[in-house]
Amino acid sequence: MSETAKENIKIVKHATCTFCGCVCDDMELTVDMDAHKITKAKNACVLGRAWFAEHVIEDRPAAMVDGKEVSIEEAVEEAAQTLVKARFPITYGLSDTTCEAQRQAVAITDIIHGTVDTTTSVCHGPSGLAFQGVGESTMTLGEVKNRADFIIYWGGNPAEAHPRHFTRYSVTPKGMFTPNGKKDRTVVLVDVRKTSTAPVADIVIRVKPGKDFELLWALRALVKGKKVADNIEAITGVSMDTLTDLVERMKNCRYGVFFFGMGLTMTRGRHFNSGALLALATDLNEFTHFVAKPVRGHGNVTGADNVVSWQTGYPFGVNFNLGYPRFNPGEFTTVDTLSRGDADAALIIASDPASNFPKAAIEHLHKIPVITLDTKETHTSKLAHVAFTTATYGINTGGTVYRMDDVPITLRPAFDSPFPTDEEILTAIRKRAHELMLAKSGLGAAGGGGTQKVAAPRKE
Amino acid sequence: MSLKLTLHTSPDVPLEAPCLNPDTLAGMTADIVAAQKVMHGNQAASVGDFFKVAGKANGTLELEGDLSRVKYIGAGMQSGILNVTGNVGQHLGAGMSGGDIRVDGDAGDWVAPEMRGGRVTITGNAGHLVGGAPRGSAIGMLGGEIIIHGNVRNETGHAMRNGLIAVGGTSGDFTGVNMLAGTIIVLGDMGNRSGAGMQRGSIVSMNPAEMLPTFTHACVYRPEFLRLLLLHIRSAGLPVNDDHIEGAYDRWCGDVVEVNRGEILLLNGA
Ligand code: SF4
Repeated sequence: MSETAKENIKIVKHATCTFCGCVCDDMELTVDMDAHKITKAKNACVLGRAWFAEHVIEDRPAAMVDGKEVSIEEAVEEAAQTLVKARFPITYGLSDTTCEAQRQAVAITDIIHGTVDTTTSVCHGPSGLAFQGVGESTMTLGEVKNRADFIIYWGGNPAEAHPRHFTRYSVTPKGMFTPNGKKDRTVVLVDVRKTSTAPVADIVIRVKPGKDFELLWALRALVKGKKVADNIEAITGVSMDTLTDLVERMKNCRYGVFFFGMGLTMTRGRHFNSGALLALATDLNEFTHFVAKPVRGHGNVTGADNVVSWQTGYPFGVNFNLGYPRFNPGEFTTVDTLSRGDADAALIIASDPASNFPKAAIEHLHKIPVITLDTKETHTSKLAHVAFTTATYGINTGGTVYRMDDVPITLRPAFDSPFPTDEEILTAIRKRAHELMLAKSGLGAAGGGGTQKVAAPRKE
Repeated sequence: MSLKLTLHTSPDVPLEAPCLNPDTLAGMTADIVAAQKVMHGNQAASVGDFFKVAGKANGTLELEGDLSRVKYIGAGMQSGILNVTGNVGQHLGAGMSGGDIRVDGDAGDWVAPEMRGGRVTITGNAGHLVGGAPRGSAIGMLGGEIIIHGNVRNETGHAMRNGLIAVGGTSGDFTGVNMLAGTIIVLGDMGNRSGAGMQRGSIVSMNPAEMLPTFTHACVYRPEFLRLLLLHIRSAGLPVNDDHIEGAYDRWCGDVVEVNRGEILLLNGA
């Protein structure tokens, strides 16, 4: 123990891992305060351990303009000027930061009459569309733990992407009405191949690639007691016996849950695939209680949906060009606004579109002024006009994140970062952008001739 | 002489110009037309910033140039004629209730969403959601005609409730998804999942198509209405041949997850 005393060790209890959408809030972190490192993360899964262990404070400037180090104030000024000048500015990313920062980003977009979109549009955006079209029968993960006796994972591989999903909520935990844990539950996996989730499942159903919609549609018909085509096995790769057995089990369970992943939302059919699954859950409520929930990837992507929804009325792909919010995925989602060459400036927060977007979109990013906020250097920050380095949420900053079931969770940071938070930078940009917009409309001090009292005088 | 607008400066970002329709510009002189407000991204601009205006409005509006970044052309149109030489952007003829739009070129996504009457003709291709419903709405086109000579993409006639969509080329996936009534004719191939969730209405194709497991084969017959419709779209310039008109059709009923009153007609022996 003498070693510990020497090394200046701090223990952070009930810390939160923000690596995946499970947002486990039972971490116990051992922090070496001198080395600025987390040496141990008790309770974390392998992904969580890596997330904490790999976190280091990078040695890079806090703010850069065109690759040259500048003061944060100068960079904020440049960012605000760029955004205010733009005719079709877009805001994108937001899934790996706190709700507090997300709020500021939405406010900036509102002020500059831009377009706000989150990484939801490239993962579960289709589900967002489907919720709107079909509705959502929903729950919290606590309910699943305590009540659910029939779990279907569809098109996702939580064993690899959300390792603690099984043990905390859906398969093994003992709950109020599931006192025997796994013994009280039936777990079904529907996927195109036998993934590492398969050993957890009691029933594994392999659907032909790209035939999820057909399978879901057939299940809907069977649940309603209707006939489906005899060649269903040839179409979907699943036999009629398996289907009827599954339908009986679904109808006769006490509390059924669908967890669905990007195997549904990012394959051909997209929002209709998730819509079909949500509709099936709704149909099943004629017989028993059935709910559906997307299994979300990034730490706070659910928070992004929530914040953008509560501020604009829509979850993603929202445009303010006319001064009020309009929602239209396909028109205002980032892949589309970039690929079509619509956007003329981009504010990108905690995301790296330059590494994973389609080619046309990345090419357009090279042509327009980009402002990035990220904890590390990324492909996008390298091409950025203004690049901020910010503190990592959950490790260096507090704030709120949403778990994948829309439950807000408070962060307990482990140690301080020399870099400002996303929220601080975005708040500064918001304030400056507001002044500039007022000036532009002739109301602010810098506008000249307008009423002087509205905006703060411009600092020279 | 009709009113003619020629694009002289291409917009850098999307231009929203719902005023570009013969009703709004009715009776205006060239100067007044040039002063009409449009939105260039988030900034107000005027028609004259982008278009050279000539002539005087007399119910016919001619537009010329690559308008693929111009949205809402002909939106809300009730009467008159709108001719476009060049491509057009999204939301062409949104919510129109009458009049005639003809585009010699391609159209973007959402051609005539929520259309209630009138006619749209596109000689080139069109994007997704032709005659469809805007996101969040369950009501697509309610009447009128959309004739597309080229290809269309996904969700053609999404939630349509009446009217006719005729496509000379191919269509994408989910043709006629959630439709309540109306007719969609695709002379070329259809993508997969045609008619998913349809309640009533007819989807017709001249090529074999992949059926959802919730559709059942009913019969082979020669529907009388189809003959008339095909003659009509042939007169509109689509490549309908005698085999299409004389042929027998396989009738598939669906969608069984809904009321099962819809039909998909596929040319027999194609
Ligand atoms: S399951 Fe996700 S949130 Fe939980 S510890 Fe692992 S990576 Fe972190």
